[in-house]
Amino acid sequence: MTKNTLLYAVLVAATVAAPFLFPSYTAFLATLWLFIIVALTWDMTGGQMGYNSLGNIFFYGTGMYTGAVIAIGLYFPVGEWTDASRSEVFSVTASQYYTGMIIGIPGAGLFCGLCAFIIGPLFFGLRGPYFAIGTLGLAIAAGEIVSNIEWLGGGQGISMPHSPLHPDFEKVLIYFLYAGLGVVLFGFLRWFYSTRFGAAINAIRDDEEKAEAMGIHTLRYKTITWAISAVFVGMAGAISAFQLIHFEPLETAYQTINLGIFMVVCVLLGGKGTLWGPVIGAVLFHVFKEVTWNYILGGQWVALGLLIVIIVVFFQDGLMGYLKHVRPGWFGIKVDTKGATS
Amino acid sequence: MKIRDILLSVTAAAALGTSASAMECETITLGAAISLTGKYATNGVHAQNGYEFAITKIAENGGVQIGDKCYNFDVIYYDDESKGDRGATLAERLIQQDGVQYMLGPYSSGLTKAIAPITEKYGIPMVEAEGASRSLFNQGYKYLFAVLSTSEQYLASAITLAAERATAEGRDPSEVTVAIAVENDPFSLDIRAGVMEDAARYGMNVIIDEKLPRDLSDMTAILTKVKLVKPDVLIVSGHSKGAATAVRQIGEQRINVPMVAITHCEAADVTGNFGDFAENFLCSTQWAETLTYEDPIFGTAANYETEFKAAYPEYATKKVPYQTAQASAAVYVYADAFTRAGSLDKDAVRDAIAATDLATFYGQIKFSDAGNNIAKPMVLRQIQGGEYNVVAPSNFASHDLVWPRP
Repeated sequence: MTKNTLLYAVLVAATVAAPFLFPSYTAFLATLWLFIIVALTWDMTGGQMGYNSLGNIFFYGTGMYTGAVIAIGLYFPVGEWTDASRSEVFSVTASQYYTGMIIGIPGAGLFCGLCAFIIGPLFFGLRGPYFAIGTLGLAIAAGEIVSNIEWLGGGQGISMPHSPLHPDFEKVLIYFLYAGLGVVLFGFLRWFYSTRFGAAINAIRDDEEKAEAMGIHTLRYKTITWAISAVFVGMAGAISAFQLIHFEPLETAYQTINLGIFMVVCVLLGGKGTLWGPVIGAVLFHVFKEVTWNYILGGQWVALGLLIVIIVVFFQDGLMGYLKHVRPGWFGIKVDTKGATS
Repeated sequence: MKIRDILLSVTAAAALGTSASAMECETITLGAAISLTGKYATNGVHAQNGYEFAITKIAENGGVQIGDKCYNFDVIYYDDESKGDRGATLAERLIQQDGVQYMLGPYSSGLTKAIAPITEKYGIPMVEAEGASRSLFNQGYKYLFAVLSTSEQYLASAITLAAERATAEGRDPSEVTVAIAVENDPFSLDIRAGVMEDAARYGMNVIIDEKLPRDLSDMTAILTKVKLVKPDVLIVSGHSKGAATAVRQIGEQRINVPMVAITHCEAADVTGNFGDFAENFLCSTQWAETLTYEDPIFGTAANYETEFKAAYPEYATKKVPYQTAQASAAVYVYADAFTRAGSLDKDAVRDAIAATDLATFYGQIKFSDAGNNIAKPMVLRQIQGGEYNVVAPSNFASHDLVWPRP
């Protein structure tokens, strides 16, 4: 236990120190935390509950837009703000900017949680590939719908208010927003998976009919789990909105084929259904992505495709699953090497 | 990418150190995230070629003189994959990790919208050549400068032409009907806004107003509708892919609208790719090689075209797209601004760019307070017998409009 506490203390210290030790990599590290958050939340339903959603990016995009609408709408008419041909220049004061941020980020999380509550019962009647495709359809449809709502800027997207801070400081602020959310999420999941609730969603994954027969109200458990993950993804989306400043619906907010798939790859890489798997997967994936995108430009998607094929063919349980197999001792699993003789 | 660039420049420097006198110039490093892959790849490459051609030409002409030293430009490029969030990340990297102090723009309004907040945040000047949407110039940006005309002007003169023709035929311009089909992106939406404003001014009736999906490769459904309602004017906008799709499918489906006006004809090489299908299309252009613009580095507009084709043989059989010309003009603006600033300080350079009043092969360049070029008009050309002939505005027109299309 003390060894674990020490490990966590070191990790938290590293998290806090990172942007100051590597100031020019702060944006990279901030995005890394975004990957960790979306991977951990994807694993809540995909790994722990057995429901592989391809549509969690819906909450990311919706979080971005909700955060933006709150931050802008508190002080300005959103329709006028997004009008591309307006001649007026809106200026935002520091207090307006921060009020927008403080209300916008949690507001986005709550709204996404609410969305999950509403759409959850519609989707959780689907199983396996039907659930995956259904949720993917949700994300694609949402992107198309938003891109046709002129009040939200339509295909033009939205430009956020500009930060009054010095950019170096703002970068660190964005980093700590992501990192803070990530640490809270990790701590929450560590507790959450140890509860009866966690055991219940594992039971749903292992055998949903049996779980139901045992008296677990499966729909309620599934919807609540998805809603919790939606809250975190939505908040991460809103932070992204403040980080990117300008975003548009189809390629940034509801980017199904990028972040929407990357979060699944992260989890598969690290190991489904484990607490650390998504974190390790996100780190490995993000580093892999940055390296290939910078040094083998033109071949980056081929490299990514290759990585996915290798994981799916050779390491179906991800890195954590592989380690568990070759080093069971690390996971507290005792193997009787002499066979069952005594 | 970065390591390779460093290695290249180190070897180049080593090689040059021992030889040549004209090469003693130092280097000013510019940064650019540009679409080398993804849906804007064609135009991203056009723009990159324009940057590189200008850099070579400026170096050949003795480089940029700042004080008693001379400088040549070098650009660090990254591929933004035609995606806004990637562009923003790369701009951040160029500024933070590569220490770039001056930026060239990406391709498309959408990407420029994604990158401009970043350059603005760090106070890094960006001269861009490919982002035309008006929504870029009402954000209060102080470090963003665009050499091109804003997009609402692209096809507005087509509406004026249609009104003139209607009057000549004894009809009231308000009887003219307009169909609009544009891609749902910042650039094309602004084109649509400009056309709508002009159509409203003449009291014209917009009978089709459709948005097309991104990356559009099929618009048959809308064309079927056009065939049914028979508008007088059809406006289509969707970058190079939109132009190619429109020309091909309008030809295949035999859509006989009296006037069809589109963007990006040259960039999509519609005459080379689709031949007769492109006949009598109206094409908006920021620049035409037949115009009488001139400067000491590139010579006349016609000379630019000739020399560019010599340097890039892959353009030999097609028009040099204006996307390339304006990219070169952006580099030229930097060269001019550095010389006038007499300093490498980014804020001094920014102020010098803001004060630009420069005659170039691409047209006059003078920025408004918002950063857009207000000195250069848009030109409308019609494809007549496979040639691009200027038909509007009237003071530039070399040929008469063919109306209606046969």
